[in-house]
Amino acid sequence: MKLNKTFLPSLLMFTIVLTACTDEKPKDKPTIDEEINDPDASMNTSFDGKVFSIPSPLQTALLIKESNVPFNEDLLNNVDNIDLYTTEMRQALNLGIYGTDLGYAALYKQNSTSLKYLATVEKLTNKLGLEGAFDKNFMTRFEKNSANQDSMMLIVSQAFRKSDDFLKNNDRKNTSALILTGGWIESLYFACELNQASNNPKIVERIGEQQQTLKSIIEILEEYNKDKANAELISDMQTLKIQFDKVMINYEFIEPSTNEAKKLTTLNHKMEIKVDTNVLNEIRSLITSIRKKITE
Amino acid sequence: MKKIIIAFIAILGTSQISYSQDCEGLVKVCESYLNGTKAPGNFVSDGQVYTAFLDRDKSEFRTTFYGGSTYRIVNSAGKEDDYVIFTIRDLQGNILFTNRNYKNSPYWDIKVPKTIPVTIETELDMDKKVTGCTVMLIGFKKN
Repeated sequence: MKLNKTFLPSLLMFTIVLTACTDEKPKDKPTIDEEINDPDASMNTSFDGKVFSIPSPLQTALLIKESNVPFNEDLLNNVDNIDLYTTEMRQALNLGIYGTDLGYAALYKQNSTSLKYLATVEKLTNKLGLEGAFDKNFMTRFEKNSANQDSMMLIVSQAFRKSDDFLKNNDRKNTSALILTGGWIESLYFACELNQASNNPKIVERIGEQQQTLKSIIEILEEYNKDKANAELISDMQTLKIQFDKVMINYEFIEPSTNEAKKLTTLNHKMEIKVDTNVLNEIRSLITSIRKKITE
Repeated sequence: MKKIIIAFIAILGTSQISYSQDCEGLVKVCESYLNGTKAPGNFVSDGQVYTAFLDRDKSEFRTTFYGGSTYRIVNSAGKEDDYVIFTIRDLQGNILFTNRNYKNSPYWDIKVPKTIPVTIETELDMDKKVTGCTVMLIGFKKN
């Protein structure tokens, strides 16, 4: 195909204009694009994929620790299982699982266990091409701060955020979603198992609170399921959702109060969560089975 | 002709790198509000980076704020602090907070005594910026 001689220069100009369009407007002269005032102009939004959010699994580990439930190493995924994870999907899911194990052990200041899981996390991140997040600097900081719970949480969460950023920038959003899903599964598994042993109302409440997060996880997995790779996991999550839909949540809105000077808003709503014992047992049985499929 | 093609590819490539670097720069700006550099308090990241390229529309997602925590929501869309408007609602649509009422403050802390699922909506302030990358980070600490 022969191109018209004017085509490429025009394309070049178009590209320059397109690139210039993404520049910021000068602060001193705010201008509004004419299109905004044009009711016929298209209101397109070019999202970087859909935006999803999964609460940090560290928060559930923290709640478990604060509930004075003793550390239980038997709950962790065996580090020797790492050799079983040969596909990117299993590596990503188990990175989320091992990452949560690492956070759980670190919160309880189980230093030798933490270092063992840290080494496993490092191996998996290398397999997934995420060396940058768990680099030498991270390892040094981790070892130096192993006695400080707050610093450990900061360091581990920063490393996972770095991985998340890297994966999203490199169009590997499914891998990012699978890591988050693995982390969530592990924290729910911990909560169910530790509640079985201690029967703690705060942990039961935390389990019930996962209803909304599970919906988000199913949405994420569906969003990145173009080659049907997530189909079985989605189906398992949907089965789990049937039980979560039975959790009773009563919510009452009350106006929040804001302290402008402190840039702080305090929420005042009422929220009551009721989880029937049978539902709790079903959730425990299902999450154990889903985790087993992923880890073994 | 060959030179024009190379120039075209180079410009296209540069714009992609620039876009990626812009977003990366915004992550660093947001980090400085979480780690105590630009605002008091040290918050633990939820481990995720929320990025959207906004063009006269809104980005919205759901998350859950757990009871017993204070969350810090940080947004950035460029060198100025006040480009982004963010609004937090409960699932019934009631507004829990919007920085629109506080000069588009780039961060705000939300103290959560009881767990609540919420939606967070972000948009660019059209008087200041009409299109571009926005980054949001969420951090938490115990009450």
